[in-house]
Amino acid sequence: MSRIEEIKARINCSMLLQHINQAVCFVGRVSKVHPSGKTFTAVDGEGKTVTVELNCCLEEELSGVVEVIGLVSNKGVLMAATYNLLREDRGTPFDLELYNEALKVIHDFPQHYPFEAAVSG
Amino acid sequence: MSIPLTQGAIEALYKGLPIKNPLLQLLNIRQMTSNSGLPRFRLMMSDGQHALSSFLLTTQLNHLPEQKLLVQHCICMLKKVVTSTLADGRTAVTVMDMEVVQSPEETGGRIGNPTPYNKDGQMSSPAKKSSATLEPDSSSATAPGPSHRSTSFSRSNAAQSSPTNSPMKVSPMKDTISPMKVSPKKEANSPMKFSPAKDTNSPMKASSSSPMKVFPISTLNPYQSKWTIRARVTNKSNVRQWSNSRGEGKLFSFEVVDESGEIKITAFNNEVDKFFSLLEQGKVYYISKATLKVANKQYSTLKNDYEMTLHAHSSIVPCEDNQSIPTMNCNFVQIEELENRDKDAVIDVIGICKKAEDVSRITTRNSREVSKRALHLIDSSGKEVTATLWGEEAEKFDGSGQPVVAIKGARLSDFGGRSLSALFSSTIMVNPDIPEAFRLRAWYDREGYAVNSQSLTERKSTNSGSRMNWKTLSDVKNENMGHEEKAEYFSCLATVVYMRKENCLYQACPSADCNKKVLIQHNGLYRCEKCNREFSEFKYRFLLSANLADFGDNQWVTCFQETAEVLLGHSAQTLGQLRETDEAAFDEVFQKANFRTHIFKNRVKLETYNDESRVKVTVMEVLPVDHREYSRRLLSNIRRLAF
Repeated sequence: MSRIEEIKARINCSMLLQHINQAVCFVGRVSKVHPSGKTFTAVDGEGKTVTVELNCCLEEELSGVVEVIGLVSNKGVLMAATYNLLREDRGTPFDLELYNEALKVIHDFPQHYPFEAAVSG
Repeated sequence: MSIPLTQGAIEALYKGLPIKNPLLQLLNIRQMTSNSGLPRFRLMMSDGQHALSSFLLTTQLNHLPEQKLLVQHCICMLKKVVTSTLADGRTAVTVMDMEVVQSPEETGGRIGNPTPYNKDGQMSSPAKKSSATLEPDSSSATAPGPSHRSTSFSRSNAAQSSPTNSPMKVSPMKDTISPMKVSPKKEANSPMKFSPAKDTNSPMKASSSSPMKVFPISTLNPYQSKWTIRARVTNKSNVRQWSNSRGEGKLFSFEVVDESGEIKITAFNNEVDKFFSLLEQGKVYYISKATLKVANKQYSTLKNDYEMTLHAHSSIVPCEDNQSIPTMNCNFVQIEELENRDKDAVIDVIGICKKAEDVSRITTRNSREVSKRALHLIDSSGKEVTATLWGEEAEKFDGSGQPVVAIKGARLSDFGGRSLSALFSSTIMVNPDIPEAFRLRAWYDREGYAVNSQSLTERKSTNSGSRMNWKTLSDVKNENMGHEEKAEYFSCLATVVYMRKENCLYQACPSADCNKKVLIQHNGLYRCEKCNREFSEFKYRFLLSANLADFGDNQWVTCFQETAEVLLGHSAQTLGQLRETDEAAFDEVFQKANFRTHIFKNRVKLETYNDESRVKVTVMEVLPVDHREYSRRLLSNIRRLAF
């Protein structure tokens, strides 16, 4: 999983297929957790769903908005390396639709958002 | 094995004493003929010790025996009964609600050896005797009013269950059973039947001193005129005069509540004089003889299809026994929910009054002067909203000690986003004696006081009344803002990067509305030129010079008292004291306030001082950053620029 040190582009479900075999960062709301605890589905700000596979079982209750960093498999499944829950009980609740809008801007104007340069430079 | 029966239940039911869900065995059931054609079932019930055959089944439950669910020797749980006395003095217990809990097969026959219960303790043959005499009366029996006498309500008033009423007996009238139309909203009571108005034996006509039969508010309707309610006044309006093309007059209205519901009552002209001083908010009264009509929802938001108007024959009598009447029927909405409600909705709120502004007088469009006061309410959702009180309520409101304030029937408006306004018909309660208030108090004392709440009424209109004029700091110079004679206003998002600690405070005149700087005299007193007086003390006030910066530029601004207090998080008085006593703490206040980002509403104007003109920026208001709103604005700006 050395790929994980690379730039993790922030994406939503529509961008999954453009990032196959790349490390990405996905933010979405947990939808359904598989009984085995090894996989779950999440919905992004546009309402689309992605399947996330974990390398180890879920030990805790997973719900709300989650940020997952991982690799996109060639089937469009997000193989998670790590995840963290965004707390909903404190502060302003996370606005997923707004986040999605920002995501679109970042991808529409990559020349203004040179994240790669920022990390490597 | 059978379920054990409730000992002593027969005696309790006979005497009309409260007993909760007693378990009794059905010894016998008989169908009686009735005038109306509806079958009427008579039950003989036993508690294992005593048996009583004077049980009547409400016709609503006729399906139980008809479907063979209620059969001899089954065990039943009586969930709701009404014990009443017939004209001849005998007692009848009407079962309004029951449940069969064990079938006769499981019980294995009659339990125990119950003896017939008789008031005098005499043995009398169970079914025959009483049935013979009971029959003609109860054949056309109507169920007694579903009132307080129902023993399943744990709060039954023994005072009311007097033997003189004869709800059961109806003299040979035509159709004696008139199905009641119950206000559909209330689901608690099964539809009741009442004797018609004409009935000469109507309990209403009983001697005036005898207790009246009380009806639940939820059962009132225009087709029924012989009723009495016992209810508490929850809200009493002031007398209002009106004068229009059709005439003029005066009115006042009040709302009452009892266990079953609430209703609005209005009195006009003569009735105003008769009843206005008699009625007091919070007290319980017996009310009878008033006109019921369909509610005008425009003027009332109570959950009742009907409302009442008092007339010349209306009777209102104070009632002493009022424990069972609830004090308030409120449907509180969480403050954060207000955003989702429609504007102009009338709702109930409850919250801690974090801050109450001073009462102010304003002139309305109609050139009327009225007092108003704004309260800042916060509840456990962590959100705040501003509620405005008017008139007398505003004047007499005391917000000291951050009380719990409950407002019933306030109007939600979209002023400043979302805010509340008390209506003529609203009820304001300070520290009400309700569980919700205690919960709020506990939450506030525990954690609420520290919550950095976000007010729904934040987005107040600017002084110029227009929308916020968003600029960046570089715009101020680039656009030559403030260079004209008139002042310009703008809003921006900026970070405090420096504050002048020295000379941030000055000594001001201690008089209420005077903020002029005072001069120290030789005699140690402080002189105010404006008031032309000398004082032995002064008050500290802020005059803070700060530098704000954003991504593009920086700008020196001046902050006066209110805005400086927001930036520094402390009052001028506190800071003044710190400066004199603890310099390290004084410095720390500035450290903490530095590099914080806020929304600033500013005024920029050309100022001339001794032949020198400079553009000066003054901060009018400091607001916390609403990141979502800010992000949305940036996104829309980006999209706009992209085209």
